[in-house]
Amino acid sequence: MSGSGLDEPGPEDPRRHVSDFFRLQRWEIPGDGDGDGSTSVGGRAPVDPHQRGPGGGLRTGGLLTNLDSLGGFTSGLSVLPQWIVTTSIMATVSELAHIGPLGFRADVLRRGRNSVVTSLGVVDEGAGDRHVAAAIMSCAVLDPGEMLLSFERPFTMAMPEPSADPVPPDQFFCIEPGEGPVTRLRLEDRLRNPWGILHGGAIAMLADEAACRAAMAAGPGAVGPNGVAATDVVLHYLRPVRVGPVEARCDVLGTRAGRTRVRLAIHDVGSDDREVTVGSVTVLAV
Amino acid sequence: MAFPGYPPSDHLLGDLGLEAEAASDTSARVHIPATPMVASADGGVRAGVLATLVDVVGGSIAARALRPNWMATADLSLELVGPVLGPYVEARGRLLRRGRTTLVVEAVVVGVDELGNDLVVDGRAADAVAWASMTFAVLPARDVATAGSTLPELPSRWSFTGRGLDLPILEALPVTVLDGPAGRLSIPARPYLHNSFGAVQGGVVALLAEAAGAEALAAARERDASDMVVTDLQIAYLALGKVGPIVSSAQVIGAGTDGPTGAVVQLHDAGAGDRLTTVVNVTAVPVDQLLGAVR
Repeated sequence: MSGSGLDEPGPEDPRRHVSDFFRLQRWEIPGDGDGDGSTSVGGRAPVDPHQRGPGGGLRTGGLLTNLDSLGGFTSGLSVLPQWIVTTSIMATVSELAHIGPLGFRADVLRRGRNSVVTSLGVVDEGAGDRHVAAAIMSCAVLDPGEMLLSFERPFTMAMPEPSADPVPPDQFFCIEPGEGPVTRLRLEDRLRNPWGILHGGAIAMLADEAACRAAMAAGPGAVGPNGVAATDVVLHYLRPVRVGPVEARCDVLGTRAGRTRVRLAIHDVGSDDREVTVGSVTVLAV
Repeated sequence: MAFPGYPPSDHLLGDLGLEAEAASDTSARVHIPATPMVASADGGVRAGVLATLVDVVGGSIAARALRPNWMATADLSLELVGPVLGPYVEARGRLLRRGRTTLVVEAVVVGVDELGNDLVVDGRAADAVAWASMTFAVLPARDVATAGSTLPELPSRWSFTGRGLDLPILEALPVTVLDGPAGRLSIPARPYLHNSFGAVQGGVVALLAEAAGAEALAAARERDASDMVVTDLQIAYLALGKVGPIVSSAQVIGAGTDGPTGAVVQLHDAGAGDRLTTVVNVTAVPVDQLLGAVR
């Protein structure tokens, strides 16, 4: 279980940092009024220089953070007054080099009693709306308890201002320096979502960084002249991260045609080392 | 799983020669012979067939873990590491999480010999050649009446026996290409392809999506679909395809440095008001880019 898409608390709230870091603007796309509960939300985010990876565009972990935020929010709107928690995301990234800004769209495909499935697409608006990525997100429906869920509809959220003191994503998400198959993240409060658990975007960025480090250590066939970059990602959020630190343990399955497959298991070390996320990342030699 | 009345004697799972074993309450293994009828351009077992294999292994774990409740596959991801060669290929699954409404399973695919032993390369067991994960939705027993949910015991070993495939699997389904560049392909929803709900089986859905993605991506590269090897499938099952025909469409995404590799495939049940049943992200690469690649 991870992010909830609910990451727009007040400007003084440190949790806003995750939402603001990638400067994701959002707007609800009004439905056709047939009352079937269909929900769609658009988004736009620049590709700031400090967020670019070796592939030339927004790092895949950043792309997934935006997808997690937008898809989770869209899924949540579709089940109000209940809310959601992300249970899995499957993303394929077809373009690593982006001009930007990136345009996003989330559409609820299926809204059931217990779950919501949402499709997501990403285009590079600066490259003639060229398709960059596609993803499918699944969420579990939950009772929000005493959490106040009130939105003006149709919902809009302006693009946050650029940071005056930009840092690269691995620093922002408190990923400790290192190399090899194990990568660690410090769980600071600003990385928690309103439920108090680690933001799904932070898990995605940890998966990106950990898989790239594991691939770098795998050997020369996995590394290109510019290094490596994460592309396709599958993550199953099994349990929430509450304590930390968080450790991603990687197993390189193999490399073929410059694509290294990395299976990873993420553990909440401070919570009896329990397994919280399992997934895979494809790392491209670039 | 072999249950009274399912699968019928003339069924794809039987013709694949599928044999299964529940190794414990939380793990299982399923294998099939790697015949030329299920091979892709690189000589390995095609992704859609492997999806069928892992869907069965996941389903068998889920059925055991959830009894007396039942389950339906909600999503499935599969990624190939290398060519999946035989003589047999085996999917080995394990339970990751059992929740109130969902259950998550992961699986690896390995090559094995006739006795089910790991193939040996350079003096050690060969590496996994594919990785997969699945989410199953829990269906309360009161809401379903399938053959499996009413059994007093689930078998620990079972096999599906059929005549075997005497033609390539896409012809056996059969898949009909309506418009290759648009990824418009079709399969009938006939009992040979059914799951225990009387709908098109999840692995067959994967095979259609694999073929549709390969057709669209091949056309975008001005190549033949038979040159393409599908390496990744990310599948969301939204609704059962019961009426048929099941018809696909595909949208190629990205340009890629060596040509596009990704497509989003949608499947609709044309006989049920064109209902959207499945969305699949497909990655495919020309075989000549894969052959000779470093492993």
